Amino acid sequence: MNGWRTLFPNAWYITVREFRSRARSRSFIAGTVILAAIAFAATQVPVLIDFAMGASQTHLEVVVRAAGTPADLQVELTGTLNGQNATSDHQPFVVSWLAGGDLAAAQQALEQGKFDALLIVDRDPASQNLAFTLRTDLAADGQVVSTIDNAATLLALDDGLARAGTSIGAVEATAFTVVPVNASSGPANSTSQEVSTNLLSTGLIVLIFMAIITYGTWVAMSVAEEKGSRVMELMLNATTPLQMLAGKVIGNGAAGLTQYGIILAAVVGGLLAQGPIHQAVLGGASSGGPFGGLDPIVLVAFAVLFVLGFLFYSLLYAALGSLVSRQEDVQSATSPLMMLIFVGYFMSIFGLQSMDDTWVKVASFVPFFSPYLMLARVAMGHVALWEFALAVVFLLVGIAAALVAAARIYSAGVLLYGQRVGLRQVLKAARVSR
Amino acid sequence: MALIIDSISKRFGDVQALDNVSLEIEPGEVFGFLGANGAGKTTAMRIVLDILRPDSGTIAWNGRLNTEVSRDIWGYLPEERGLYAKMNVLEQLVFFAKLHGVKPRKAERETRDWLERFRIPEYADKRAEELSKGNQQKIQFIAAILHDPQVLLMDEPFTGLDPVNAALLKEAFQEMKDRGKTLVFSTHQMETVEELCQSIAILDRGRVVVGGTVRDVRRSTGRQVVRLAVEGDSQIDWLGSLDGVCVTRRGQDYTEAEVSPGQDPGSVLQAALARGCKIRQFEIADPSLEQIFIEHVGQLDLSERTLAPRTVNA
Repeated sequence: MNGWRTLFPNAWYITVREFRSRARSRSFIAGTVILAAIAFAATQVPVLIDFAMGASQTHLEVVVRAAGTPADLQVELTGTLNGQNATSDHQPFVVSWLAGGDLAAAQQALEQGKFDALLIVDRDPASQNLAFTLRTDLAADGQVVSTIDNAATLLALDDGLARAGTSIGAVEATAFTVVPVNASSGPANSTSQEVSTNLLSTGLIVLIFMAIITYGTWVAMSVAEEKGSRVMELMLNATTPLQMLAGKVIGNGAAGLTQYGIILAAVVGGLLAQGPIHQAVLGGASSGGPFGGLDPIVLVAFAVLFVLGFLFYSLLYAALGSLVSRQEDVQSATSPLMMLIFVGYFMSIFGLQSMDDTWVKVASFVPFFSPYLMLARVAMGHVALWEFALAVVFLLVGIAAALVAAARIYSAGVLLYGQRVGLRQVLKAARVSR
Repeated sequence: MALIIDSISKRFGDVQALDNVSLEIEPGEVFGFLGANGAGKTTAMRIVLDILRPDSGTIAWNGRLNTEVSRDIWGYLPEERGLYAKMNVLEQLVFFAKLHGVKPRKAERETRDWLERFRIPEYADKRAEELSKGNQQKIQFIAAILHDPQVLLMDEPFTGLDPVNAALLKEAFQEMKDRGKTLVFSTHQMETVEELCQSIAILDRGRVVVGGTVRDVRRSTGRQVVRLAVEGDSQIDWLGSLDGVCVTRRGQDYTEAEVSPGQDPGSVLQAALARGCKIRQFEIADPSLEQIFIEHVGQLDLSERTLAPRTVNA
C-alpha cells in the first residue's frame, strides 16, 4: 500500500471532480432549492399557527366611570386577561387606560380603529354592582370577547366581595386547602426543562442520522457509478485505490455537507426571520427565542461528532459501494450498514430515557454508535469531558481502521465486475490484490 | 530492454485464466494479442498494469518490475470502455491527464490537437454521453495517450469502429509507433493484425499456443498455401486428389489449398501444366493468421470461453 505517501495531488483532483460533478447535477440543485424552501417554510409554521389561531393582540381601551373602583383595577384587569394564557410569553391583550373618562373621544378613537375594543366600566345605580359595556366589531361569541367577559365577571365579583368586607383570597383561604398532589416532585420547571433538552437531543441525533444515511448513500452510489461506467479501470491505472477512496469520500461528503449547510442556513434564517415576519404579519412579538435551549458546548460536540461520524460511515459506504457494479444494487449492498445505523439511532432515541444505564455508557464509546449516543449524552449533560474526548479518540481510531479496511475492500471490489460479491470473496481478493 | 512477461499464472476460482504465460515484447514494436473471448487477454493486460496481481510470475519493463515502475509509463485503453457520462470531453481528458501529472494547460492543448486530428474538434465541450460509441472510443484513445506513455496497452481498440474511424485510429497507431512507443493490443480482426503488427501471441484458455513475429508464426506450421485459378474450371476438382494437398477454399476467383510440410508447392503448378490447364493465377503464400488461429484455437468466436470474471451488463 504505497498510496499513503502519494495521496496528493491526485486525491485532491478527484475530490474536486467529484464535488463539481455532484454539485452541478440537476438533481443536486433542484434538491437543494426544494429542501431549503421546505425547511424555511417549516420554520414559519408557528407564525402560521398563531395567525390561524387569531392570536393577534387585542388593544383594549378601558374607560372607568364607576366610582369607588379598586385602585389597582387596571393591573388586575390586565393580569386577568393575559394571565389566562400563562404558558406562553405572548400577551394577547394590550390594555390602555383612559383616565378622566372622556367617552366621546374614546368612541371616536375606536371608530378610527386606534384600538379594537372599548370597555366602559359603570356602577349600577340600584345594585351598586359594576356594570360593563363592551363596544367592538369583534365577534360577540368570539374568544376575545369571551375572555374579556370572564375577566369582567371576575372583577365584578371581586368588587362585590370587597364591598362586603372580604376578598377572593380570603374566601379561597377559607374554602380551599391546596395540597400538592405529588409532594416528592422537584421544582415544577425541571420536568419541562428535561423535556425540551430531550427534544433538542433528538433533533440533533436526527440531523446526524439523516446526513449519514443520505450522503453516505451518495458516496456508495458514486463508487458504483464509476464501476458501472467502467471508468474504474482507467482510474486504476492513473491512481491508487486510496487516492480514489479519499477523493470520493471527501468530494461527495463535501457536496452533501454543502447541501446540508444550505438547508440548515435556511432553517436558521427562517428562525431568525420568525420574529420580523411575525411582526409584519401579525403585528406582535413572536413567542420565545428560537435558540433558547442551545448550549454552545452541545453545538461544538455536535460539529465534531457530525464530521467524524460522517467520515467514518462514508468510508464504509464507499467500501460496500465498491462491491456492486450497478447503482440499482447499491441499496441491497449497503443494507447491512443501514441496519447498523438504525440500531445506533434507535439505541440513542431509547437511551435518552435512561442516559445513566451502563449499556448506554458503554455503547456511547463504540465508533458505530458514538456519533449518536455520545451526542445524546452531551446534550443531556450526563458526560465528563474525558469521556467525550475518549469517544472522539475511539472514533478517530475507528476512522483509521475503516480507511484501511475500506481501501482493501475497495481495491479488491472495484475489479470484481458484474457480480454480487460475498464478503469471503472480497477478503480473498483483498489478500491478492494491491 | 523490453516488456518481459515471465511465466505468469492467474486463477479465478475454478478457472485458470492464465497458465504460465511468457512473452517478450520488444520496445517500439506493435504487438498483437489474439485469442477467443475469455482466452485471458484482458487478464494479462490487467496484470501487466498491476491492476491485478498474478498468482505467480513477474512482469518487467526495461529490467524493472511492474510493481516498481511509475504508472505513468503505461497508457491503457480498457476493453470495458468508460467515460464520465455527464462530464464534458475536454474537462475529463484534462482530468485524466492531470492524474498522470500532466500540466492542465499542456493537457488541454494536446487534447484539442488530437480532437482536431480525429475530426471531432467540436466535441470538446460536449458531454461524453452525447457522443456516438465510435467517437467515445476515440476520446478513450486520447485519454490513454495524453500523458505520453512509453507503452500503450489497448484492449480491443478496433471493436465497434466504422472503417473511417478504424483508419483514423490506425494512423494514430502509426504515429505512436513513429514516436517510439511500444504498442500492445488485443483484437479478433486478423487483417488488422497482419496490417499493423510485427509480433503476435495467440492465447487459448490461458496459454500461449503460438507466438513470435507475424512472419514466423505464419510459417510455423511448415505448410504453404497455393492459390490457383485456371480457365474454364472454377472448381479444380482434381486438386484435392494430389498427394499432400488439401483444398481449403473453393471460389469463383481462385481455389486455395494447403500444401503439407516438405511438399514442394511447385508440384501443384506442374500438375496443372501436366493436365494442360490454362493458368490464370498461381500464387504461393504462407497461411493467413486466420488459418493459423483456427488451427490452434478452433473456430473463431463459436464458443465463448469465459474465464475471467465478466460483466453481465456489458
